Parts: sequence; C-alpha cells; structure tokens
Amino acid sequence: MRILVIDDEKQIRRALQSVLNVRHYDVQLAADGQEGLELATSLTPDLIILDLSLPDMSGMEVCRMLREWYHGPILVLSVLSGDEDKINALDYGADDYLTKPFSTGELLARIRALLRRMQGTDTSSPEMDVDDLHIDFGKREVTVRGELVRLTRTEFDILAVLARNVDRVVTSRMLLEAVWGPEYVSDSQTLRVHVSHLRKKIEMPGDIPRHIVTEPAVGFRLVSHNEAT
Amino acid sequence: MSGRGDDIGTNLRDAARAGSGYPLAVVVVLGAAVALLPLRPFLEAPTLMLAFVPVIIVLARFFGIGVSALASVLAFFAIDFLYLQPYYRLAVGSFPEWLGLLAFLAVALVSGQQTALLRERERTAERRRAELALLNALTERIASAGSATEIAEFVVARAQSVLGATRAAVYVPGEGSEFPLRLANSGSTSLSAGEIAAAAWVIKHGLALSPGGSDGASGATPSPATEAVGAYIPLATADGVEGVLHIVVPDFEAQADRISPLLGAMANLVAASFQRQRLEESAARAEALREADRLKTTLVSSVSHELKTPLAAANARITGLLEEPTIEPERLHAELADVSRDLSRLNTSIAALLDLSRLESDAWRPRFELHELDEVLGTVVANLPSDQASRVKFALTDEVAYISCDFAQLARALANVVDNALYYSPPSSPVWVSSRLVGDRLRLTIEDGGPGVSDAEKERIFEKFYRGVASSQQPGGTGLGLAIAYEVVRTHGGSIGVEDAQPTGARFVISLPVAESTEEMS
Repeated sequence: MRILVIDDEKQIRRALQSVLNVRHYDVQLAADGQEGLELATSLTPDLIILDLSLPDMSGMEVCRMLREWYHGPILVLSVLSGDEDKINALDYGADDYLTKPFSTGELLARIRALLRRMQGTDTSSPEMDVDDLHIDFGKREVTVRGELVRLTRTEFDILAVLARNVDRVVTSRMLLEAVWGPEYVSDSQTLRVHVSHLRKKIEMPGDIPRHIVTEPAVGFRLVSHNEAT
Repeated sequence: MSGRGDDIGTNLRDAARAGSGYPLAVVVVLGAAVALLPLRPFLEAPTLMLAFVPVIIVLARFFGIGVSALASVLAFFAIDFLYLQPYYRLAVGSFPEWLGLLAFLAVALVSGQQTALLRERERTAERRRAELALLNALTERIASAGSATEIAEFVVARAQSVLGATRAAVYVPGEGSEFPLRLANSGSTSLSAGEIAAAAWVIKHGLALSPGGSDGASGATPSPATEAVGAYIPLATADGVEGVLHIVVPDFEAQADRISPLLGAMANLVAASFQRQRLEESAARAEALREADRLKTTLVSSVSHELKTPLAAANARITGLLEEPTIEPERLHAELADVSRDLSRLNTSIAALLDLSRLESDAWRPRFELHELDEVLGTVVANLPSDQASRVKFALTDEVAYISCDFAQLARALANVVDNALYYSPPSSPVWVSSRLVGDRLRLTIEDGGPGVSDAEKERIFEKFYRGVASSQQPGGTGLGLAIAYEVVRTHGGSIGVEDAQPTGARFVISLPVAESTEEMS
C-alpha cells in the first residue's frame, strides 16, 4: 500500500513516515501542494494524506485538482479552527478528515477504514449490513435488529447516502444535494429534523444515537462498530 | 391616529384637485341659472340671488377662495344677463336692481372668502394635530426601544400615509463600505444606483438634497442631483450623519413650507435614536472587550505552569534515557508510556486553552441551532476511545426536546464533564448519564463512582486551574475542563452544579432551557 503525505511541517512528515513505515505502508512525502500534485501523478498512491494549510496553495485547491483525475481516498488534516476549510475540502471530494493533534490510533483507524472501503466496496451492492441495520436498496427496506422499520422516502434516501459512505463523514451540503437537489444545499435545519426522525426509528430508545453520529459543523457519519482491526 | 393621518392625506389630494373646482363652478352656476330659466316668470331676482349664496359657500368650503370668487362673478353675470330686464343684455333696467346686484356680488365674494378662510384654518389645525400625533407616535416608538430597522420601517410607512409620499426609504452608512445600507423601503421598488449614490452623497456631506437642488447642495461640492428624485434629508446629530431619509412627495416644492419642518423634526428624532443605539452598542462592545482582557490576564498568569509541568517531566525522562548507555526494553517501554502520558496531558492543556481563549474572546460567537441533547451526547461518545466509550451508560428521556445550542461548544463542554467523571472514578467502573424533562428545562446528570467532591471543593471546582484534591494523587487533568463546561453552559442559559452521589461519587447536574418540541418543528 502506497501512501502519499502532503504536509509542509517536517516534523509531522517524519513522524507520519516512521509511524506508517512500521505498519508496512510505503510512504512518500511532499512538502507543498505543487510537489504533492506532481508526486500524486507519478506515483498514483493508494491513499493521500493532505494537510489543508500549505505554503504555496490552499489545501482545498489541491483537493479539487486531485479530484479531477484521482479516485483513491483523500484524508485531510486540519486544525481545530479550520472548520470552513475542512467542510470545503470534503465538499471538493476529500473522503475524511482528522483534526490535529490526533493520535496514531485514530490515524491508523481512518486509514484502514478508507482503504477497506476502496477495496471492498461495491457501491452498487443491492443490500448492506451495518451492525444491526440491514438495508435493501432495491426494495427500499430497512430492518433494525431483524424488525422492519417504516421510513419515509426522505429518511430512506438520507440513510442510503450515509450507508453508501459508511464510516465516512458526509457533509450536510452533500446530503442535501443528494436527497433534495442542488438548490436546497443551505437548508440544514430541514435536514436536521429529518435526521432526528430517522434516528428515532433506528436507534435504541433511551440511548444516544450510535449509528448516525453528528460531526459538529460538518455533517453526519454512519458508524459501523464491528471494525476489523 | 391613523384616521387623522388619513385626513391630512385627503386634504393634500383636495389641494391637488382644486384645479378641477373651476370647471365645476362654471357648470354648477351656469347650469343652475339655465335650468331655472323656465321659472323666470315666477322668480324674483333677489330670491335667485339668495339661492346662489349657499351654493357659493359650499364651493368655497370644498374648493377654496379662487373657485368661490369665480362662481360669484359668474352668478353675478348670469343673473344680470338672464334674470334682469332687459334680458340677454348686460344693461340693467333700474338703479335699485343695480344696487341689489352689486350687493349680491359683494355678499357672495365676502361669504365665499370667509368660508374659504375658515376651511383653511380648520385644515391647518387638523394638519397640525396629525403632524403632532405623528411626531408623538414616533417618539413613543423610539422610546419603546424599537430596533433601528423597526423605527425606519415606521417612518417609511407614515411618510406614505401622512405625507402622501409616493416613495420613502431610510439608509444608514454601510459598515466598512462607502455604499449605504437600506434599512427600510416603501413598496417593492428595487435598488436604483442613482438613489444609492444620492444617499451616499448625503451621508458623506451631511447636506440635504431636495427636488429643486437648491438646499445646501450648491457650491463647491458637486452633487449627484441629476439622478436624484425627491428629497434626501440627512439624519444628522452633532456627532455626524446617522443616516438618510429619502422621500418623494408629489408637488414637493409647493408644499415645502409645510412639509419641511415636519420632515426636519422627524429626521432629528430618528437621528437621535439611531445615535443612541449606536452608542449603546459600542459601549456593550467595550464592556465585552474589558471582560475578555481581564480573563486573558488571569489566563496568561496561570498558563505557564500548566504547559511547563508536563513538558519538563517529559524532557527529564527522555534526557535521562539518552544518558543511559543501555536500557532494558521493559523499562524503555514504561518510560515511553510515561512520556506519552505527559505529552497527551500537554496536548489536552493546549486544546483546552485554545478553547477557553476562543470562548472568552469576542471573536467566537456561538452559532445557535436546534439540536437534541442525545445527538450531542452521541458525538461526545463517538470521540472517546472505545474502551472509555463502553464505560458510559445512558438512561435518557423519551420525550423530544430541542435545545438551542452551538453544537461543537456544547459537545466540548459535555465531553469535559464526562471525561472528568471517567478520570476520577475507578477504571472500568461505569459512568451513568441520564436526562429528564423538568418543566421547560432539560436536566442532565453525569454520575460516577469515584471519591466524590467535598463540600469545600464544590464551590471551587468550576474555577479555572482548580484541580481537586483527588487529582493531586493522579497526573493528568488540566484544571480547565470544568471551567470550560461552566462557561459554555452559562452561554447557553443553563446552569451546572455538583452534588454527592450515593453511596459514593459525584453527580454533575446540568440544566439547559428547552427551545422547542417536535410538534412545533415538523
């Protein structure tokens, strides 16, 4: 597995290199956006780790340019205060994000999830299991712990988009665009209400939502807990 | 109030209609004179004259002195021509009839004039009343602390109903822009570049632009008067221009004497209220800044300790290791584990400090949205390491309650309280989180099986950099987590406290106001 790290901070590059090398990933390093884009073209890595604050160009711009041809997963690194950048990068096609500082455990878990998705996902599979949820895309049916639940059209559509991106954050904008259409991308209050109704039907009463987790200011993530480590 | 306002509007329209009074007078007088012609053999001229007087008075009452004078003269000639012998000639047969006719003319003219004068006085009085009422209402509106926009909308609405304006708008200087901001606007008129340019000019120069272009705007400063339609009145105070009132009144020049003082008074009132609001806002901002400053000072004075301690510890361990020629793997691993703990404490401290400084600075304004607490807690738990996440047990209310919150902030606050409970209770012992609706507040409790919090500490535990007695035996913890939670809960209009749990442990109780229920939302 080849991973390209685009980050302008030398310490972070070296740390990532040693941490990932030990796990037998082949790590290539780029110190700015230009070098990153060049290396991405020549190496075609299996995954790209991209820092959003680069000296020569914005991380979002790199993300947008990569996405013109690169189909592998892009994991962006951002700082706590960079919500806007993070959301933009995700809207431009990044697959997930980590907020600095992060632990090695978190990083490895994200990388594994992204690579697994890349290899194993057949996005056109007609049925899917996420923990105790079973989703039948063809019949538009959902069962929770073996019991059929009635979802409205919108609720099913939201769940379907989240399921197709399981373990990956989906921005509110992406959800609104996929379910309602591009002219509704700012109607996040409506989205929240529908997600709330959806949760009532698929989550355990009296407990916190375990399937659909809110990513503050970004969007939602459908979590699969039986992650193979 | 609005009734009287309408009177003035009617009067203005009357004035505009006065022109149509002249043809009416001709038709009425000549029509009556001709219509009564078949009765000529039975009508004495004086009777006829008497009959005309009320007609003339009525015309004077509705159309003013000009119309009544015309009617008088017309009646004079009509009677002479049609009813006094010799007929159809201007000559009059006898001297007494001449006298009578002249007397009639005099009476008609004088009574017409008197009536018109009376009407004029009445209307002036009514107008004064309406204008006073308008200023009164405006003062009341301003005193009841309406927002600048509300006041502007009120002025625009009344300019239309009371002054008969066909167009009115209020502009204020745009923040950081040369273009003014429109606060209120009559009807659906879209923005016109000329109007904005004119408003910008008035704001910049503090001079009025009026339809004639004669007011103030003469002389050295070129005005955009070519584009300007209607009057632009600066809302000026001694300190400067707070905005512009734009008003288009048909036939403004003719009524300028009457309207201008009223507009001036309105402009002064509105300007004073805008100024007061602006000053209040900047005072509030200054107060917030002072508060932030004070907090920053406290922060800086206590921060070095929090950052230096773990750094020093880690540094000591690593330099120690580097000096040793050989190290057994187990000891190396143990030392590195300690270093990792020190660094993660440093990391938590820095994150907490960043949180706190943003929380306290003016720059971080909470973005309130409606969320359920369950959702926030879901995010909190999703961000815990899985061995810790499984320790948190939930018993949440089934009732649906939305809380107006800044999701990220509230999540961080709750995470701090949950972390605190996990930290100060035995490893692998559960932490119980439950919620309950109490009236219009949501009560959340976070309960652990740790040593609890002594009464003396209950007061201080939410203070910055205060670390409990228990924490002196354990490394880690920043002394900031609960302070952040306290600060965040407070900005959400809630309260946080701690009490004893049974048989042992601490129970943190957070109470948050509920914003809406599902029924209202869907």
